[in-house]
Amino acid sequence: MKKKSLFAIFLMMVMLFAVACSNNETTGSESEGNQSEGPVEVVFWHSMSGELEGVVKEVVDGFNASQDEIKVTPIFQGTYEEAITKFNTVAGTKDAPTIMQTFEVGTKYMIDSGKIQPVQKFIDEEGYDMSQWEKNITNYYSVEDTQYSMPFNSSTPVLIYNKDAFKEAGLDPEKAPETYSELKDAAKKLTTGDQVGFSILNYGWFFEELVAVQGGLFVDQDNGRTGDAAKAVFNGEEGQNVFNLISEMYNDGTFYNTGQNWDDIRAAFQSGKIAMYLDSSAGIRATVDNAPFEVGTGYLPIPDGVERQGVIIGGASLWMASDIDEEKQKAAWEFMKYVTTPEVQGDWHLKSGYFSINPAAYDLPVVQEEWEKYPQLKVTVDQLKNTIPSEATQGALISVFPEARQKVVSAMESLYQGADPKEALDRAAEEIDRSLEAANKKSGS
Amino acid sequence: MSIGRKIILYTLLTIAGIIMFFPVVYAFMISFMQGGEVLQGKLWPDSFSFENYINAFEKVPLLKYLLNSIIVSTVITAGQLILCSLAAFAFVFTQFKGKNLLFMLFISTMMIPWEATMVPNFQTIQSLGWLNSFYGLTIPFFAMAFGTFLLRQQFKTIPIELYEASQVSGISRFKFFLTVVLPLSKTSLITLGIYCFLTAWNMYLWPLLVTNDEKVRTVQIGLKQMQTQEIASEWGVVMAGVMLVILPTLLLIFLGQKRLQEGLTKGAIK
Amino acid sequence: MNIPNVEKQSMKLQTKGHKRHRRRFSFLEGWLYLLPSLFLFTAFLFYPMVRTVYLSLFYTDTQGKPMAFAGMENFTALLSSSSFLLSVKSTFLFVLYTVPVGVLLALGLALLANQKLAGIGFFRTIFSSTMGMSVAASSVIWMFIYNPSIGFANRLLTWFGLPEMQFLLDPSTALIAVAVATIWMNTGFTFLILLGGLQNIDSQLYESAKIAGVSTIYSLRKITLPMLSPTLFFVITVSMINSFQTFGQIDILTKGGPIDSTNVIVYSIYKDAFINYNIGSASAQAVILFLCVFLVTIIQFKLGERKVHYQ
Repeated sequence: MKKKSLFAIFLMMVMLFAVACSNNETTGSESEGNQSEGPVEVVFWHSMSGELEGVVKEVVDGFNASQDEIKVTPIFQGTYEEAITKFNTVAGTKDAPTIMQTFEVGTKYMIDSGKIQPVQKFIDEEGYDMSQWEKNITNYYSVEDTQYSMPFNSSTPVLIYNKDAFKEAGLDPEKAPETYSELKDAAKKLTTGDQVGFSILNYGWFFEELVAVQGGLFVDQDNGRTGDAAKAVFNGEEGQNVFNLISEMYNDGTFYNTGQNWDDIRAAFQSGKIAMYLDSSAGIRATVDNAPFEVGTGYLPIPDGVERQGVIIGGASLWMASDIDEEKQKAAWEFMKYVTTPEVQGDWHLKSGYFSINPAAYDLPVVQEEWEKYPQLKVTVDQLKNTIPSEATQGALISVFPEARQKVVSAMESLYQGADPKEALDRAAEEIDRSLEAANKKSGS
Repeated sequence: MSIGRKIILYTLLTIAGIIMFFPVVYAFMISFMQGGEVLQGKLWPDSFSFENYINAFEKVPLLKYLLNSIIVSTVITAGQLILCSLAAFAFVFTQFKGKNLLFMLFISTMMIPWEATMVPNFQTIQSLGWLNSFYGLTIPFFAMAFGTFLLRQQFKTIPIELYEASQVSGISRFKFFLTVVLPLSKTSLITLGIYCFLTAWNMYLWPLLVTNDEKVRTVQIGLKQMQTQEIASEWGVVMAGVMLVILPTLLLIFLGQKRLQEGLTKGAIK
Repeated sequence: MNIPNVEKQSMKLQTKGHKRHRRRFSFLEGWLYLLPSLFLFTAFLFYPMVRTVYLSLFYTDTQGKPMAFAGMENFTALLSSSSFLLSVKSTFLFVLYTVPVGVLLALGLALLANQKLAGIGFFRTIFSSTMGMSVAASSVIWMFIYNPSIGFANRLLTWFGLPEMQFLLDPSTALIAVAVATIWMNTGFTFLILLGGLQNIDSQLYESAKIAGVSTIYSLRKITLPMLSPTLFFVITVSMINSFQTFGQIDILTKGGPIDSTNVIVYSIYKDAFINYNIGSASAQAVILFLCVFLVTIIQFKLGERKVHYQ
């Protein structure tokens, strides 16, 4: 009797192993099958969810239908962070993708990882004309004259305001506040009853942009563009301007703290709790469609007497993996070129709300028509076009960017607890200095 | 029971029910709302149309994901029930050196933070060639300290006399396990089964890491796929997805409750 | 830990001649039952844990590969960092907020739902329904409830004439707000387990108590709680361990903020491992968390199991 029971357990173990082994074989043969004739398979990992995933699929389907040598397969891999973690683990193995989408703050990380192939190689090989791409976008992803990745979904921050509330407050609804004093003035007039004048999401990106628009740098070494940055410099005059603004307005009761969820700040705007806020250019269309009132857009506000420098590009870009068949890389490059054609970009701009990398797209009749319907979109494009290229508007390049953003967010949050703006900034800068030091030690050895 | 007492009980039950169920009802309401309605803070949708539900099905292959989730959750549940009951049985009804130490070792696995195991396990699965397969999704979860612990607590309540009697009459331990211990622990087994199923049903990060396409992906990935950050999420569609995803689980709990009660009336004769 | 009297009893039964043989056999058999579990634990839990301990002793590069031996440096750096100590504090506070209230609430609901009333199955399903909601989905709902401008929580406050609050944005209330959401999410499961435990209690005990004319409170104290103690012990242990590892709701509701007030250890580990790529530091934190939970659980077993009543 007992032997029987032992035998049963033993049998279960054997089965477990058998299952394991048999599966090994099937996956093995499958991957070999992929190597055979037929179109070149290009796996494209992205983090575009919701509506955007549908648009990405349309772009890919358009490419796959346009020729029969290459087949691109888009695969959603979770958030940018989740996707990078996965990429990091599989890079260099057969499970690695050919094209990988990564957010802008992961740029330095990807360059340092040694697991990617700069697209510059293909640009050089075929003498591809880069000038058709928007310089203010490609600049971000180019380091020391090497284009590392291809910009994909690109956005910038804009000021969004409630035109109806402007009218009620006796403000000109067609004129967005441009300077800090205009902003403060408008916010004061807009703060009535339940409504509060202005808000900024507690998200590091908006702080970086508000510093850059004044020509301020985030870190030393020309924003990390000419060498590994060792020191955070955002706590200079430009950063202090921003923090003073937030702190003053908050203490005045004309600034509303909405936390760090994008949907929370949008809900505050849609429900009339706040009258002005900063949002991503990519989110404008939905905001206009959803709002039960008229929505206006304007440039990022600047301190009085400061010359406007423009904005840094945000969003994500497409990277090509190294350690992969040349054939696949070439196929991926074909796809990237297709994506940047004016027609595809025009479509992309309209459907996703992100910028077109190829400015020629803006001249297409479809885009022009849409702009008439949504004049708010044109404002965002103009703000980008008017940007003066410099290290400040090119954006910082540091490997510890996600961490730096968390520190800045904490500093912003401490303002609402009554912290001194200068002290809060200095503390954040110090902490980032330490992270930079640790990071440089790592890459140095 | 007096009528007064009944009224009090029902009032309490209703109040508790409303509080517990409100978030679910809220989600249900959102699932019918269009674009701006959610963000404007409405509690009641303007109209009850199934547009969001149709949209949810169109946006991601929800049906395929649901099916995958059912397969994965069922397999994990079966695996866990078998392994956990075997282990718990050993901890209660067999005697060997180092048993207590081993039990502590089992319990300690509950305390290992998953962040620490994620990447090494991913590499293990990759080297086994289990990426993008049901094996990678299920087998790592077959063993569960929590389940072993729960069943051990249950097995310990089984009267020793029963075990002694079986020993005297020469029944093998395994047979005792199958014919006495398991039937007596029906309630706990069903409870554990529901728990396993739901935990497996709600997994997100692991399935995302080990899968690469729709063939094996599960519903929680689908839900995440509907949400966005920089662009406003269509919460109506997301909540429609949530509703579709919790429907099977609520059904399971409801049926499980019924089974539980049946099992109890039968068990009461013991 | 006490040895269940099962073994003591069964030993008595065995005749001396068989003893040695049976023992060796029992040893083998015991291990055999455990083998499948042990095998999987080794592969998917112990191995990663050992690896984590190993990595915690190294400086790692951004790819997570060990670079140079650091000894205890990752640990000393953590223990001297104020933000980590804040994480430890938040973690323990969070456990303190969620476990006792959560278990008591679930116990109350279970006692209520254990009554023999018409339609009780419906209420039981409602009470356990939160089990069916994934953490991600429930967190999104709670995010809307807590939303300062449109959320239901603030409407409730204004109804009662109270001032509006920014639950998740105020460092003094954020952790409590997350704890409330967590209690709601966990109640379904805790309730179900406790209800199962209650229903396992022999109804004859209550009947004889009734005949003896004992008050409800007395029978609750003298019959229900002792009989329920194994289940309660289990529920408390598991709630505690789960509470230590809370992650999803923090990620969605607060991202560890404001000013790190909800940055519990698990979230801090996640941030270091998956966002900031400080694998060495993340591993050290994981080891510390493991030790914390281990210690608390051992204490609980030492104190708790003595009080637990097995039939």
